[in-house]
Amino acid sequence: MRQLIALTINGEPRELAVEPHSTLLDALRYDAGLTGTKKGCDVGECGSCTVLMDGKPTNACLVLAPEAHGCTLVTIEGIQPDPDTVHPVQDQFMRCGAAQCGFCTPGFVVMAKALLEENPQPTREEIRFAIAGNICRCTGYTKIIEAIEQTAEALRHAPEATR
Amino acid sequence: MTHAVIGHSVKRTDLLDKVTGNAKYVADMPLAGLLHAKMKRSNIAHARIRRIDASAALALPGVKAVLTHENVPRVLHAGSPHPRSASVTCDQYILDDKVRYWGEGVAVVAAISEEIAARAVELIEVEYEPLPAVFTVDDAAAPGAPLIHDREPGGNLVLPPVRIERGDVDKGFATADFILEGVYEGGRPTPAYMEPNVLTCKWDGNGNLTVWISTQTAFMVRGIMAEVLGLPLHKVRVLVDHMGGGFGAKQDLFQSEFLCALLARETRRPVRMEYTREETFLGGRTRHPARVWLRQGFRNDGTITAREAKVVFNSGAYGSHGPGVTNVGTAAMVSLYRCENVRLEGRCVYTNSPIAGAFRGYGVVQTYYALDIQMDEAAAHLGLDPAELKLRNAVREGDIAPSNHPLIGHGLEACIRKGIEATGWAQRRAETRQQQGVIRRGWGVGCEMHGSSAYPGIKEQGNAIIKMNEDGTVVLLTGAAGLGTGAHTALAQIVAEELCIPFDCVSVVHGDTDVVPWDIGAFASHTTYMVGRAAQMAAGEIKTQLLARAAAQMETTPEQLDIANGVIAVRDSPGPTLTVREAVMPRKGLPAAQFVGTATYHPTKSYSFAAHFVEVEVDTETGFITVAQVVPVHDIGKVIHPVAAAGQIEGGIQQGIGHTLYEDYQIDMQTGRSLNANFVDYKMPLAMDMPPIHTILLEAAPDPGGPFGAKGVGEDPIVAIGPAIANAVYDAIGVRFRHYPIRPEQVLQALAARAGEARP
Repeated sequence: MRQLIALTINGEPRELAVEPHSTLLDALRYDAGLTGTKKGCDVGECGSCTVLMDGKPTNACLVLAPEAHGCTLVTIEGIQPDPDTVHPVQDQFMRCGAAQCGFCTPGFVVMAKALLEENPQPTREEIRFAIAGNICRCTGYTKIIEAIEQTAEALRHAPEATR
Repeated sequence: MTHAVIGHSVKRTDLLDKVTGNAKYVADMPLAGLLHAKMKRSNIAHARIRRIDASAALALPGVKAVLTHENVPRVLHAGSPHPRSASVTCDQYILDDKVRYWGEGVAVVAAISEEIAARAVELIEVEYEPLPAVFTVDDAAAPGAPLIHDREPGGNLVLPPVRIERGDVDKGFATADFILEGVYEGGRPTPAYMEPNVLTCKWDGNGNLTVWISTQTAFMVRGIMAEVLGLPLHKVRVLVDHMGGGFGAKQDLFQSEFLCALLARETRRPVRMEYTREETFLGGRTRHPARVWLRQGFRNDGTITAREAKVVFNSGAYGSHGPGVTNVGTAAMVSLYRCENVRLEGRCVYTNSPIAGAFRGYGVVQTYYALDIQMDEAAAHLGLDPAELKLRNAVREGDIAPSNHPLIGHGLEACIRKGIEATGWAQRRAETRQQQGVIRRGWGVGCEMHGSSAYPGIKEQGNAIIKMNEDGTVVLLTGAAGLGTGAHTALAQIVAEELCIPFDCVSVVHGDTDVVPWDIGAFASHTTYMVGRAAQMAAGEIKTQLLARAAAQMETTPEQLDIANGVIAVRDSPGPTLTVREAVMPRKGLPAAQFVGTATYHPTKSYSFAAHFVEVEVDTETGFITVAQVVPVHDIGKVIHPVAAAGQIEGGIQQGIGHTLYEDYQIDMQTGRSLNANFVDYKMPLAMDMPPIHTILLEAAPDPGGPFGAKGVGEDPIVAIGPAIANAVYDAIGVRFRHYPIRPEQVLQALAARAGEARP
């Protein structure tokens, strides 16, 4: 028997009829039609499904969909401020070549945004630690770390560009 | 020579969709009426299926179909369907009445949800008649070992032994001042791409099959599915848009392709089969575990007088890329370090283990690990700097490569020299002498070379079609897959450069076997090299047509015309110019010019080179090895997109660090059961594990066979990093490891053993 949950996703109020045993990840992908959030392991090991749940970076595969009732979610689809602009994190990921196959990228972009909101000027060590729960198999992380550093640098000069 | 488009890190065309979550991967596509398929996998490594009963599964509400070996076509086929090359092994069925490894698919269910399909899988009863299983190459190759396949050449060999001989090896050894001999072993890393295997199949009313799949080789998938399902090629359409990595392994077929198509046909509904991460380990592909026995004769000046090696690769339960890997990995040992007298033997052996397949580095990772480390041992024996010894022996222009072609340029020497200079090598090495304390630092260098294209194993071809639109923009149609390397961007850059038009005037259509020209697939570091050259040739055809038309308009001859940034002008003349758009556009009641360029390029082979310089820290109390920094120096000919090329190198190094220090997909040696089919127990490098990487790209040995002299880059970076780390560990603590992964407990055991020997 499906269960109705009400939540805010990317600023929109949504009602989703979810299987009680389904994960938030499946609810987002299949019930809300937001497939930008990826399923790389489904058991909380890879970080590809990172979303912001009430502002906190969360593995959507580790949350049961009914638990998200009443929550405010931001997924990768909610990061881009408008169709003509990208978020500074997204901009730097493109400039630095921080994405290759792109499958882990939504998780990294969301995690990077969360980090920079909490700590706008992270050290390299803080960046490495923040993304330690996200696995990328293509890039060696070098350009991802560089992109996050560059975003912090860009935000230092134009802080209003963040949100 | 300066270039307007290539050599610049233009904005990659695939990235906006990837950073915004708009990029569609196979599992992202909604389809009305979609069914979900799940595989029943064996829980035994070697057995005959005595009885299989799906009746309870079929009775479960929501289950639409179940397939077992009893109701699928029995067609012997190759799992790695390279086009009729010598490297395919016809040794598998869609479903067989025998299982050959723990985790092999024995049945499949289609249901209205994944949960119901998974429950139904549990309800399928399988009664096995166990067969004796063999998990090591020694057990499998022993006389009287149980045979895993009933096929030639027998003895559990995947193919007859590969034998390569050059010069006079016995004479070479006779003239040696000293001989080194060692056994080098490689574990079982897996590609572990982030997107699990997935596909969706759908039939239309006319019997046309559409397949959306995450693959590197769409046309190979089309070919083998058509063959096994008995369809002509125009009835099978394979679509690949974005895919979440492959690293070689997604050249194979994984049982799921045929099963998904058969389920969709039986249910008359679209069916998706998405592997879990565990299944991606179980039913995926690994690198071939390998053992290399290597013996070389040296003179006291460091010259190599003879080289003899015996390599044995563990193929696992099926042949997959075993023949290709055995040929390429074995043949690689004729080269890298010069030696005229070489005798090599490569064997590949079936075992009841996970299937080994293609994986970045393709057999060369294993054999160059041995070859490069033994050069380091020779340097230690001679009291020489290993970089100096490797430089002295580095292959150079005109040497006969593994492909039997003369090498072009002095790429390896250039890489070693540059790395020595960039790292301040002599000083760095001097600093690691006389160390005290718990943490010991060391520097090592590892070298490699790798071919762009799979020639001569496969007679490859790159194809391209380019159309010019009536506004002067162009569309490139290519079959090359986009694994995330930026290949389509590089191809567009090559087309723009050749046509002398801005980069943003080129778009790329790919990923639809009904539309784009045939392509062998994205592997063997050949997309930029081979498809790039075809694209350049097709662009050249357009340019010829364009200039002929422009010359008529400008009342001159095509030979007098130049194009720059989309503007056509008469050479050395201040006279009037014409834009490309003006030259093509409709005028005076005439339609626009129809310019189509097509090209096919048959490459031979070119080689890229690299030397990796690595600093490690070894904690002598915990045995933990940390890679402190890497300076990879690569010669890849003309660099088309520097950022994307560096990204390939950094990613390859990450995988290579994983291979060398952490990654090993393990099975229980009694039962064959997989032990670490997840990302917690199969440990890959995370951001915290990765060192700074200071990539240096050289254009020391451009290859005239590639577009503007470009060569491949994808495979190279994973090869040199391994021996570089092992050599750096030796430099740090004086212990020589000849295997990977090198685990902390092994470091501690080695240190303890040495301390024990030192005690009186």
